[in-house]
Amino acid sequence: MATTTIEKQSRFQAFWNGKTFVRLRRNPRFIWGTIVLGIIILSAVFAPQLSPYDPVRQNLVERLQGPSAEHLLGTDQFGRDLLSRILYGGRVSLQVGFLSVALALASGGLLGLLAGYFGGWLDSVIMAVSDVLLALPAFLLALAIVAALGPGITNVMIAVGISNVPIFARIVRSAVMSVREMDFVSAAMAAGSRHGRVMFRHIIPNSIGPIIVQVTLSLAGAILSAAGLSFLGMGAQPPTPEWGAMLNSAQQFYRVSHWVVTWPGIAIVVTVLALNLLGDGLRDAFDPRSD
Amino acid sequence: MKRLLILVATLGLLGGAVAQTITVAQGADAVTLDPQGQNDQPSARVRAQIYDTLVVQNEDLELEPGLAESWEQVDDTTWIFNIRQGVEFHNGEELTADDVVFTFERLRDPEMASPSAFIVDFIESIEAVDEYTVELNTQYPFAPLLAHLSHNATSILNEEAVAEAGDDYGTEVAIGTGAFKFVSWQTANQIVLERNDNWWGGEVLPEQVIFRPIAEGTVRAIELETGGVDIAYALEPIDSQRLQGGSNPDVEIVSVETLSTAYLGFNAQQEPLDDVRVRQAINYAVDVESIVEAVYMGQAVPANSPISEAVFGANTDLEPYPYDPERARELLAEAGLEDGFSTSIWTNDNPLRIQIAEIVQAQLADVGIDAAVEVVEWGTYLAETAAGNHDMFILGWVTVTGDADYGLYALFHSSQYGDAGNRTFWSTPRVDELLEIGRTAQTEEERIEAYHEAQEIIREEAPWLFLLVTTEDNGIRSNIEGFVPHPAGHHRLFNVSKN
Amino acid sequence: MFKYILRRTLMIIPVMFGVSIIVFSIMLLTPGDPARLMLGERAPEAQLEAIRERLGLNEPPHIQYVNWVSGVAQLDFGRSIRSNRPVINEIQQRLPATIELAVLATLLAVAIGIPVGVLSAMRPNSAGDNVATVTTFTMLAIPVFWQGLMMMIIFSVWLGWLPATGRGQSWQYYILPVVTLGTSAIASIARMTRSTMMETIKLDYVRTARSKGLSGMRVVYGHALRNALLPVVTIIGLQFGSLLSGAVITETIFSWPGIGSLAVDSMRAKDFPVVQGVVLVFAFAYAIVNLLVDIAYGFLDPRLATRYS
Repeated sequence: MATTTIEKQSRFQAFWNGKTFVRLRRNPRFIWGTIVLGIIILSAVFAPQLSPYDPVRQNLVERLQGPSAEHLLGTDQFGRDLLSRILYGGRVSLQVGFLSVALALASGGLLGLLAGYFGGWLDSVIMAVSDVLLALPAFLLALAIVAALGPGITNVMIAVGISNVPIFARIVRSAVMSVREMDFVSAAMAAGSRHGRVMFRHIIPNSIGPIIVQVTLSLAGAILSAAGLSFLGMGAQPPTPEWGAMLNSAQQFYRVSHWVVTWPGIAIVVTVLALNLLGDGLRDAFDPRSD
Repeated sequence: MKRLLILVATLGLLGGAVAQTITVAQGADAVTLDPQGQNDQPSARVRAQIYDTLVVQNEDLELEPGLAESWEQVDDTTWIFNIRQGVEFHNGEELTADDVVFTFERLRDPEMASPSAFIVDFIESIEAVDEYTVELNTQYPFAPLLAHLSHNATSILNEEAVAEAGDDYGTEVAIGTGAFKFVSWQTANQIVLERNDNWWGGEVLPEQVIFRPIAEGTVRAIELETGGVDIAYALEPIDSQRLQGGSNPDVEIVSVETLSTAYLGFNAQQEPLDDVRVRQAINYAVDVESIVEAVYMGQAVPANSPISEAVFGANTDLEPYPYDPERARELLAEAGLEDGFSTSIWTNDNPLRIQIAEIVQAQLADVGIDAAVEVVEWGTYLAETAAGNHDMFILGWVTVTGDADYGLYALFHSSQYGDAGNRTFWSTPRVDELLEIGRTAQTEEERIEAYHEAQEIIREEAPWLFLLVTTEDNGIRSNIEGFVPHPAGHHRLFNVSKN
Repeated sequence: MFKYILRRTLMIIPVMFGVSIIVFSIMLLTPGDPARLMLGERAPEAQLEAIRERLGLNEPPHIQYVNWVSGVAQLDFGRSIRSNRPVINEIQQRLPATIELAVLATLLAVAIGIPVGVLSAMRPNSAGDNVATVTTFTMLAIPVFWQGLMMMIIFSVWLGWLPATGRGQSWQYYILPVVTLGTSAIASIARMTRSTMMETIKLDYVRTARSKGLSGMRVVYGHALRNALLPVVTIIGLQFGSLLSGAVITETIFSWPGIGSLAVDSMRAKDFPVVQGVVLVFAFAYAIVNLLVDIAYGFLDPRLATRYS
């Protein structure tokens, strides 16, 4: 695939030379993705300031209302303000996305680095395990892991993280393997630099491109999976506002007030869309051949 | 031309009074049609059509002769049952005393490890006196015996059919004496039953009954409204409220007050819930009416005692705790907790229970109690509450036998701590004594008296936050006649017809 | 070629073996005692113990694993804890529904995705292309469960056109689940077709064909598409994996009696033998599809096959 091929020139240099930046600036997908994602992140960060109401405060008299001047997006089955819950929900969803991808990147990246750098039996073992994990549909794997760990937002992060480990292991491995062959790296290795030094000074910075792209795309996937797990009741616990969990608990009310189902869904779609656009823009910039 | 004829013939069949198919939607697929297998409601609803019990508990919870034509209590612990003669199983075998003995021995067999074995744990021995007479000895005088013999799990099996089917009994094969015969089962899709023309109980109206599992309540309602099913069991409150308003002239709601109580139990051996004032304070602090309105859309009744008013022995004079946050704060102050305390409410992932937990959480916050809601996986939930590792937990209890013994003994007797049913770990010597009287006393008056006093004490001591007794709203198409809901939920369908 | 296929097929065995170990370990770590789940709120200790004994839960884990795997090797997946039905029967009964759903969704995705991708590639950056781009990106961002709910609200509740759930006799029952499941695959295939078409259109021989005056459509279909198909075949295979994931949720929403809803139900009920069986089947299906993709690859691009043999 395009993301995994590495050009023979140093990515790192291209990055600083500005070619990538120039391409990014001209890429409408990257720009739109960044703007929308920026707005989402800001509104999540400033949720306490922006929210008109306490997101967990119930008002049973005002249950299941449609949008109005007091409640711009209406209220849920407990009379809680949907706008406030959507804003706070963004914090949870983004946090889950970032932390689970960070987990996948750290552990998958390390495994891929070891496999690609040292090769041999270590490589075989790591790749065999990742083959096995990849043989299971990712969502099913995450579901089984959450079932084992128990429901809860932390466990969802771990499960989604683990199910993403093999992807990162593979990408990092192939990036490392191609960088390894480059002259300046072989030179460093031949000159007797310590392994750790070679990895961190030369290999990691030079394989950063495809990794950034994969991080962005995995973020989108992670947010979707986490919402899906919460939707099945395995994720965020009440009264925590989380988009998937909001959909889960609102399900039975959709015939009376479809707002309770509509808004959290739109929030997920917009966030994932922004991340996908951003990721696609980044991919174009790092690897101009595709598209 | 030929095709047209077939079409006409088909239409004729569909229109005729004799060849009706009644399609029923319920929330989950049956698990097994072996009455001694999993003891779940969806299975029981199907099994109730295929099998009969020795004693039948009718829709008014009165006990009537079933496969036992009559019975007699010889002494404190000995009962004689006369088995109805000339009853045929669906495989053509005739019902005899041996089948009855086989059924109970199988249910009691430790090897069989039936989840419902506890229903008959009072039996000392059972044997056939002659072809149509059975003698049953109990380990101790057991007053609610007849109610137990009406339980779905004691459905009479045919020895030969069970032996022949082996491990496939209950999934491939199910042979009873009931109004309907088992025809086929496509899991997660449908179970088809057909009329038993030789039913001992009289005429069976529907030619065919089809059970379809439809998990989402809202979708069950949609299927009912669009005519995809004739009867939809246990609609969600939100849907039944909408349909009750007459929004759809083709649909009617038939409600029944069930035998199930929802409650929030306190771990009465854990500080500060070991203090009766704190438990009472919580009862005053929560507005149960608001839960009934918000979660059940008014389709439930606030509970005044641990058992539903329909149950034999229920004390109907008791009043539910009023909503009085002021009183709650006073009681907390008396208990030295004027600043409140932190605790947790557990629930499993049942949507109604989660909503209850969230409302209780918000209302307890008003009197200074900080309760975290934790949704715990069902197996863990059962294990941890049995081990006493909890503060508060939400559960339900169905008094399936319609007798107070079933609804009180397991929940409030000191011998039943943990897995056996008493997850509050609360008991008093007096209540223990009363529950034992209720179990063994010979006259109904004595039993009722004991149960009334026990319920008074339990209400006062408040090991539960008494929540509510649910009503089950069953939706039927307006052209359906003869559907009478059973409080225990396994409605009998032999008398249902379509106009 | 034959050697390549054989080798590739044999590779499935160790992978499935690994999957069985992983699945078994996850189930072992899963809390929740099936005996308690069977008994519910009222569970006398003697009963619990009797059920555990009957289910073989008192055996040490490695013995349980060996018992299970040796059964599986003879196609005996054990019996469901809840229903006592052989797991293989449960799966057999429900597999066809899932296959139906996945195949129809794939066909839908190919039937819409490839033409959209081709048309986009022929007029890059035209209004049509931009609309297609925005639409496909949005389709990729829609969560399956939300789309399912919204389609049910719109088409069953508001418009009353289609049945909401179930797998009835008529074709109407198939529309909502198939569209819900196929949506993201349509988008992925359209995007992949577009980008590979763009690359091949730029290639010399296509330009040559064009300069020779062959009509636009013929060039596209005769030359460019054929070469662009290779990555598209891969993406169809990859999509099948995410279709299986999607089936888990789609079937749950639409009460579709397939193995996806069986997976969720049995996971909730801690019916371990069923969960293990279903997960193995998922992995096996995934492996087979990937194998077919690789073989198709070999036919479409013989260079690959020679490299392996």
